[in-house]
This record gives sequence, C-alpha cells and structure tokens, in this order.
Amino acid sequence: MSLDNMFCTRCGDGFEANEKIVNSNGELWHTNCFVCAQCFRVFPEGIFYEFEGRKYCERDFQVLFAPCCGKCNEFIIGRVIKAMNANWHPACFRCEECNIELADAGFIKHAGRALCHGCNARIKADGLQNYMCHKCHGVIDGEPLRYRGEVYHGYHFTCATCGVELDHTAREVKNRPGYAANDVNNLFCLRCHDKMGIPICGACRRPIEERIVTALGKHWHVEHFVCAKCEKPFHGHRHYEKKGLAYCEQHYHQLFGNLCYVCNQVIAGDVFTALNKAWCVHHFACSVCDAPLSTRSKFYEYDERPACRRCYEKFPVELRKRLRRAHHYTVRRN
Amino acid sequence: MSKAKKVIEEAKEINNPEIDLVDKGITNLEEVPGLFNLANITRLSLSHNKIHTVPAALANLMNLEILNLANNHIEELPLSLSSLPKLRILNVSLNRLYSLPRGFGAFPVLEILDLTYNNLNERTLPGNFFMMESLRALYLGDNDFEYLPPEIGNLKNLQILSLRENDLIELPREVGQLTRLRELHLQANRLVVLPPEIGSLDLASNKAVLRLEANFWVPPIEDQLKLGPSHVLDYLRSETYRVLYSRHMSAKPPTPGEVRDKSKKASRAKS
Ligand SMILES: [Zn+2]
Ligand SMILES: [Zn+2]
Ligand SMILES: [Zn+2]
Ligand SMILES: [Zn+2]
Ligand SMILES: [Zn+2]
Ligand SMILES: [Zn+2]
Ligand SMILES: [Zn+2]
Ligand SMILES: [Zn+2]
Repeated sequence: MSLDNMFCTRCGDGFEANEKIVNSNGELWHTNCFVCAQCFRVFPEGIFYEFEGRKYCERDFQVLFAPCCGKCNEFIIGRVIKAMNANWHPACFRCEECNIELADAGFIKHAGRALCHGCNARIKADGLQNYMCHKCHGVIDGEPLRYRGEVYHGYHFTCATCGVELDHTAREVKNRPGYAANDVNNLFCLRCHDKMGIPICGACRRPIEERIVTALGKHWHVEHFVCAKCEKPFHGHRHYEKKGLAYCEQHYHQLFGNLCYVCNQVIAGDVFTALNKAWCVHHFACSVCDAPLSTRSKFYEYDERPACRRCYEKFPVELRKRLRRAHHYTVRRN
Repeated sequence: MSKAKKVIEEAKEINNPEIDLVDKGITNLEEVPGLFNLANITRLSLSHNKIHTVPAALANLMNLEILNLANNHIEELPLSLSSLPKLRILNVSLNRLYSLPRGFGAFPVLEILDLTYNNLNERTLPGNFFMMESLRALYLGDNDFEYLPPEIGNLKNLQILSLRENDLIELPREVGQLTRLRELHLQANRLVVLPPEIGSLDLASNKAVLRLEANFWVPPIEDQLKLGPSHVLDYLRSETYRVLYSRHMSAKPPTPGEVRDKSKKASRAKS
C-alpha cells in the first residue's frame, strides 16, 4: 500500500511521509485522531473499548455502557450475570429464599423469583408449583407470560403491533437504539418481534437488547463475543480474525505465528512485515550488523532476512556475485 | 582501537545495554579495554572486524542475549559461549570456521543460530548439536554439507532451516518431523529427490518459503517446480511419487554434479 491511497479513518486526510500511523485492525489513523469518541483524549496505555463502531476510553465506556447491577446499582466490571431480565454482580445474584450465590450453582425461575435448586424443590413439594397471575390473581395453568418481572395469563395482553392475543411465547422488548423506553417497553407476538429486526446473538441465539458487538458479520452479546481458543470475552479489546473466527491477541499470535522475528514476543505496537516475517518497530534491523532499519531504508534480501546496504557491500565479492544471480532467478519466477 | 575504547566509555557512562562495535578495525578482543567487565549488556555487535580468536572470557557477559560476530576471521569458537544462560541469537556467519568445539550444542535458550558462509559439514558438527531444542532458526547456507544428520528431527521448534548452496546429496526423512517449519532453503545443492514426508509440512501457505531451484531434480519434480513449490508438495504426497522415491533410494544411482569450486570463498582464506 502506498501513502497516496492511505487515509485517516477519522478525518479522512492523508499522511505525511515520516508520520507515525496508528493501524488498528486495518483502519489507519493519525496519532492525534486515534482518540476516545467521548472525551477526545488518547487512550491510556492504548486500551480502548469499541461500541457500535466507536472507540471509547475505559472510563467513558463504563460510564456510558457498563451494565448496572440489578441489586446494588453499581457498574459491573468483569463477569456479568445476565438473569431474570437484569444484570448482576456474581455476588449480588442470590437465591431469594436462602440467599446462597447462584452464579455458578445455577438457578430456577419460580413464580418470577430466582431460586436455588434446593429451595425450588422444597417449594414445589409444598404444593405451590402453580404461578399466580399478577393481574387477576388466578392460577395459571401451563407456562405464564412474563412481563416486567411478573407473571400473567397471556390473554390479558395483545401484541403492540398486530393486536393479536398473546400467550407465553410473547417477547418483551426493553430498549432499542433510537427509541425512548416507553416506545419499546412493550409486548409483541413472536412473528412481529422477529420482523422488528432485533439482532440475535451469534453465540447464544437470543435477542440482544443491550450492548451489541458487531464482528465477523454477526451480532453478539458483549459477554458472548469470545476468543475461539481461550473463550474469554474481548470486552472491547482488540480481536484478530482468521477464517471466520476471532482470537485474542495472545492466541492469534500463538496459533498463527505473527511474533517478532528478533524478540519472539507478541508485537505490541506497530508491526513491520517483510520477507514473510514480522518485527516490532524497534527490532527491525539488519541481520548482519544489527543496525536499525526503517520502512524507508533500502535493504537486500539474504536468506529471507534483511541486510543493509553497508553490509551487502562488505560481503565477499564472490558471494555478491552469487546472490545477484540467485536474485535474478527469484525475480523471474514470480 | 581508540574508536572501540570511545564506544565502551560512552556505553558505561549512559549504562547502555547494547554495544555496537561494528567495523571498528578490531583484531583482538582482549585489546578492547573494559569490554569483559560490561556484565550488564544484552547485545554485543562485532560485525565487520578482523577478529581471529574469540576469548573464552567473552562468556563473562552473563546477560548477553544477542551476540553478533558476523564477517570476521574466526577459525575457532570457545566452548564457554554455549554456557551463556540468556543467549538467544548467535551470528557467526561469514567467518572461517572448519569445526565447532565438542559440546557446543549446550546452549540453554538459543533461538537463532547463524553459521552461514563457513566451512562446516556434517562430520565437523559436535555430537550434541541437534540437542538445541530451543532453536527456531538454523542458518547453514554456504557451507560444505553433503548429508544432513537424521538427528535434525529433534529440533522440534525449528521454523527456519537454510541449507542454501551446500553440496547436499540427499535429505533425511526426519526433516518431515519438523512440523513447525515454515522456511526451507535448499536451492543450489545436488539433490535429486526429496523424502515424501516433506509433502506433509506446512510449506505451501502464503507465509511459507520453499526454495528448491538449481538442483538436479528428477524430471517430474522439475516439472512441478516450474508450476511452483506448492505443486511440488502436492506431488510429493502422491502415491506415484512414493513409488518413484523408494525405487530411486534402492537403486542408488550415481550422485550428480560435483562439489563446487570453493577456493575463492573468503571463508577459505588463510590467516
Ligand atoms: Zn486524522
Ligand atoms: Zn474518554
Ligand atoms: Zn391473569
Ligand atoms: Zn404481533
Ligand atoms: Zn449471546
Ligand atoms: Zn484467547
Ligand atoms: Zn521484537
Ligand atoms: Zn547491516
């Protein structure tokens, strides 16, 4: 790629010949343009979070988008438990009978309450297994319709779009980008719900009503967009794509060998690639004398490694002749 | 020598861990004042000097990670180098080595070993040479190998192997065990066939390098090579080739070509 057809993703201008260019997932930026979409400051330690195509610093990402816990109302950083139509800190999501943590033990929804398996079995055995409709207080036979955390007979509601009477398959839409909460906090029949184009998570196949990650041509719950190798969520950190799968930096490099030729480490900043190899910017050097090379330095190929002009000229004449000949047939063959 | 002295003094002053003594007219490292006391340095580049002997005391530089001795007049290396605990990259290319000291393969963490353009062959390698399991690149181009020892298969981490312009007559099947190999340079040798196992290596991807030009290939390999190295790999995996290879190996036809005249090589110069 030549500088002539490289443009900054933010401001659209080109780059100066000597200018440092930020390359993030194939998008190029002036260093001054690679900033948080909210506070316009550079990202501390280069860490940023991506949401709907915009990049945010960690602080602003949390203020704007981090989920709040349904119990303590604090931001949730790290593991988010999505259950009972809300988000929870793992320590805040507990059995409503015995107060035991449910995050790893699993839970059962019983009459609109989250219960551990033990309490659920006990309450069921007590003969309270039927739901009671929140509106008419009658017993519900079969599955109830769930709405704003309560249970109802489906026939108390109609679809907000087509007016058809609803049953337990009705979907509650809690919020959608571009709509006020009152517009969308409604119930829809399955058919109308599907037509609304609410994105479906590529991993769990459930609708995504909050933060959406769009990648690999699909939508994902933030918690469900994970490295194909270690299964840790990216949470807005850089991911690397290969053959339709996404990987964290460490595993992408481990699996696909994009380590620096000199230090054999994952390349943290800009990457220099040449001769089927990659280098950290400060490790790209002549393989004969270790003198640093830049993108603008002329170098010779020597066993698929760079040799600077000074070194090449110090090679034995006899070797230079052979390299020149070898060079000729390599060029012809390609 | 005053130029070298200046570099050392400056490095000491600013505590620079990387020392460049490239092309400083050094003939004897023992005459570089204070060099062996720089125990904290991580890189020492001595390319393009006239060093004949590498003193064993160089191994006092316990923190060295990169040692570059390219293009000197070195005929012998001290065994002590192989005890450097952090040495990752050793470049002794363009010297006058006829052999390596016994036990030289003891490097604990060596990753890149460059012995290009010397006078080495399979008979002058130390017995433990192929025990350096940490090696990811081994450059042996421009030497005098006719055979490659089958122990090459031990170098499980090897990603790059260059044997460009040796006198190789055949390659052991064990090369096929180097599953991480991404670069194989075999151009300008005396090879006729390749072990079929090479066909199973991942050398056809766009990041891989397979150099086969200027050998004495049997006609079917030569034909595939005209289409590209990936076609050679396809062919090596075929049943037809398996048959051809086993017939060739049992017939033992005369070795083609001659050892190149290397009298003009700088590595042959007498001191
Ligand atoms: Zn810009
Ligand atoms: Zn910000
Ligand atoms: Zn009811
Ligand atoms: Zn409807
Ligand atoms: Zn999901
Ligand atoms: Zn991972
Ligand atoms: Zn590096
Ligand atoms: Zn150089």
